[in-house]
Amino acid sequence: MAINLNRRTMMALTGAGALSLATPLVAQNTALRLAFIPQENPDKLLGDIEAITGWLAEQIGVPVEGFVTIDHAAAVEALRNGDADISFMGALPFVLAEAEIGAVPLLSEVYRGAPNYTGRIFVRRDSGIKSLADLRGRDIAFADPISESGYLYPLAEFVEAGLVEGPAAAEEFFGRVFFAGGYQQTMQAMAAGLVDAAGASQYADLLLTPEQQSNVTWIAESAPIPSHVVIARPELDGDLQARFVDKMLLLNEPDNRHRLRYLYGPDGYVRADSGAYDGVRDMARRYGLLE
Amino acid sequence: MIRNLMGVLLATLASALVLSGPVAATPAKESPWLPEAAAYRLTLFLGNLEPLPWSDVRTAWAEPYRGSEFSVGALAWLDRESGVDPAPLLEAMAREDRQAVFTQATRLIAFRIEEELDRALAAEAPATAQQAVRTARELYRAFEDGVAAADPETARSIGLAWLELNSNTGSAGVLGAGVTRADRETMEAARAVISGYIAENYLLESFATRQKLTSVPESMALGGLVVEVPPSLPPGSDIFDQDPLPRLVLNFEERGIDETDLPLVAYGDMLFDSAQIFGSPARDLGLACSTCHNRSDINQRFFIPGASHQPGAIDVDGAFFNPIFNDRRDDPIDIPSLRGLRFTGPYGRDGRFASLRDFTRNVIVGEFGGDEPTPFMLDALIAYMLEFDFLPNSMLTPDGRLTDAAPDAARRGEEIFNRPFAGFGDRSCASCHTRDANFLDRQAHDIGSVMPAYEGARAGAMDTPTLLGTVYTAPYFHDGSLPTLAAVVDWFDETKSLGLTGAERADLTAYLETVGAADEPFEVFDAENTAFRLAFSELTTFASTLDTLLPQRNAKHILLLTDTVAADLAADASTMSNLAARPEVYALAERLADVGAAVRGEDWEAAEASWTAFKSEADIIQERAF
Repeated sequence: MAINLNRRTMMALTGAGALSLATPLVAQNTALRLAFIPQENPDKLLGDIEAITGWLAEQIGVPVEGFVTIDHAAAVEALRNGDADISFMGALPFVLAEAEIGAVPLLSEVYRGAPNYTGRIFVRRDSGIKSLADLRGRDIAFADPISESGYLYPLAEFVEAGLVEGPAAAEEFFGRVFFAGGYQQTMQAMAAGLVDAAGASQYADLLLTPEQQSNVTWIAESAPIPSHVVIARPELDGDLQARFVDKMLLLNEPDNRHRLRYLYGPDGYVRADSGAYDGVRDMARRYGLLE
Repeated sequence: MIRNLMGVLLATLASALVLSGPVAATPAKESPWLPEAAAYRLTLFLGNLEPLPWSDVRTAWAEPYRGSEFSVGALAWLDRESGVDPAPLLEAMAREDRQAVFTQATRLIAFRIEEELDRALAAEAPATAQQAVRTARELYRAFEDGVAAADPETARSIGLAWLELNSNTGSAGVLGAGVTRADRETMEAARAVISGYIAENYLLESFATRQKLTSVPESMALGGLVVEVPPSLPPGSDIFDQDPLPRLVLNFEERGIDETDLPLVAYGDMLFDSAQIFGSPARDLGLACSTCHNRSDINQRFFIPGASHQPGAIDVDGAFFNPIFNDRRDDPIDIPSLRGLRFTGPYGRDGRFASLRDFTRNVIVGEFGGDEPTPFMLDALIAYMLEFDFLPNSMLTPDGRLTDAAPDAARRGEEIFNRPFAGFGDRSCASCHTRDANFLDRQAHDIGSVMPAYEGARAGAMDTPTLLGTVYTAPYFHDGSLPTLAAVVDWFDETKSLGLTGAERADLTAYLETVGAADEPFEVFDAENTAFRLAFSELTTFASTLDTLLPQRNAKHILLLTDTVAADLAADASTMSNLAARPEVYALAERLADVGAAVRGEDWEAAEASWTAFKSEADIIQERAF
């Protein structure tokens, strides 16, 4: 049992961390270097990295080092120049990294039995808002302008419904559009009545108090969004890549599941299917993020 | 009620802010507090205890709060992250000046908010600005409930200002795509709203003397407005169910009798899970009998700073729950198990109540400040609690002899258990822990486990506890001072000069561990047999007492039931695995609330109709209720 909102998701939505916590090691052929995207509490992430890299090193039989990058761009840069072999990453930055450096998807995170989730438009049950059209002239909060489930996909529902012409025209339909900084802030803004609606992950209402949860509902749901992905630099040795994937899949076994909390807390991993990210590639093009 | 899953579901990010409201029966785990904000909230909480635990206040700033994800305490954190000088606060704490500590701690948080807002405005990179805004916002959380309670309009303006501020920090985009620039003019305007209010209410040289330390803004406090801030627990508190959840053994259930055929017992079961029978703050925080006595047993994780000296312990007659009942003694006790309750009287750790009814009334009215319970409520609670049985243990016969399943070491230990010792006045362990009387003698003995409170005190006698089920109820003794059964054996050996060898101590421990074992001590859950399914079954059983109460037109007890169960059902839905069925559970909870609303309006026909609808809908969704 877990929720799809994990520490990395939150950090990705809140614009990544502000400080580099470690220096990447010099490239070695006999070691694996993992890049992690920062989270809200760097103290904890450092402890988590130590725990998971230690286990992976035992399993794979080569030294495994982990370090925290300042953001997705820095992680991709580390992959490009060989300072990192593998990185944990959101779906959107992955498709951009794929286009930029040929990054290869290895593993997808699984939540509640699926390697994907959705974005939803949430409203208060007593608001009287029943459809997307009811939100004309009303205020909405999203998580972050580069969040898949916290902006891009939910907003696309308004486009599909013919209410918003495109990403640049959102302000013409809504009263105000806010970016609250993360799922939790977005949902709290809606639940507290600061805005009329919230665009966030399908599981974001679990971040409200039980009482608040019973007072909110959702009126639209996006297409499936591929969950976060573990990617490799294209030049990484194939054998090492395969061993890494095999050992990571051991985390799905009951004896190892407790270690998943060191990796942003998914329910497990599956081998990544590059085709599953076509929707994200399309979305990135639609928002002008990808040519 | 099943609450332990919330801890799993809302693991790290979890829901923030209040654990309060009229019927917040299912607690939500709070998102992590920043170290200095946590220390501030702890200072407010501890500062309202009488006598004020100054040592705990100092610890609140010096060490990470219990369960903190931060490896350092507030002072070290400030040293690392901030230029704000904590010296005035430290000086006030050294003088143990409550008002000065309130003033300096409040100013410190206000300074920190301003410091982070300065950083946000000065930041070149959007990520840096967003981090600073997020930190400032998290620090403001220390004041937020006071502003919301005292000044809702301003709370809304400030909430919008935080949204505005964050929305205009710009975006670094992703890998260079989607970059937007910060709108500093709008950021400045939003910041002015926040900072103006902070300056007027929290960043002050001095504050009006507060009878109760709260985060209420100074302008409201000066205006003489009486502001009731919803009760909250400080960071580090833990009122979630024990995990794994103890198995409940009810006599009638083991015999195959359906609880719905025992309406008095079912109503008592509901009351055992109801926070409504207590007064504030316990009621507002959702604390019920079952919060401490999970499934008739104990809750090893229960902890409230200032009221618990360790997990699984609580001082029920301290300043927090019912000030008039405050005995001004810092004497938290280890929460006792209620298994086999009808065999374990007298009640209370020192056996101070011969009657379970008197004991129960004292818990409700004295310890937790509730209204006087009706005779029916007491009858129901007693009827329910008398059904608590001990855990079955196939290594023991019903009269306490070891069976063939018991290990050899336990057999050797049994001989020691029955051996008279000079240090016991030629008595044995079994003299008090009587084998065929559930390993207790229903008497209080002073074994030297209580420090004399004053010279000549004869106040150290404690009720002999049963040994049944004790493998799962660590720690031991009235104050939980001994962590293991082996430690208990060592304590007796050393303090009573029993002269046991190492092997004998191990054998005696094996005997205790055999007597205290159980075949199935914990509830077992799986994909569909979830904690929520158990809760759903319990709650619908509680509701079944309406079949008895509605024909009686028993409005008072109906309302107590509907207020409790409707709120719990809706709140517990947040723990469901089957998220798709949540709306149905919410609708079902509304049906029950409708029963209550109709009874309040004295429309008995409507109440009957809603109750009929509830039963039929509950049957329909039962399969999906997991």
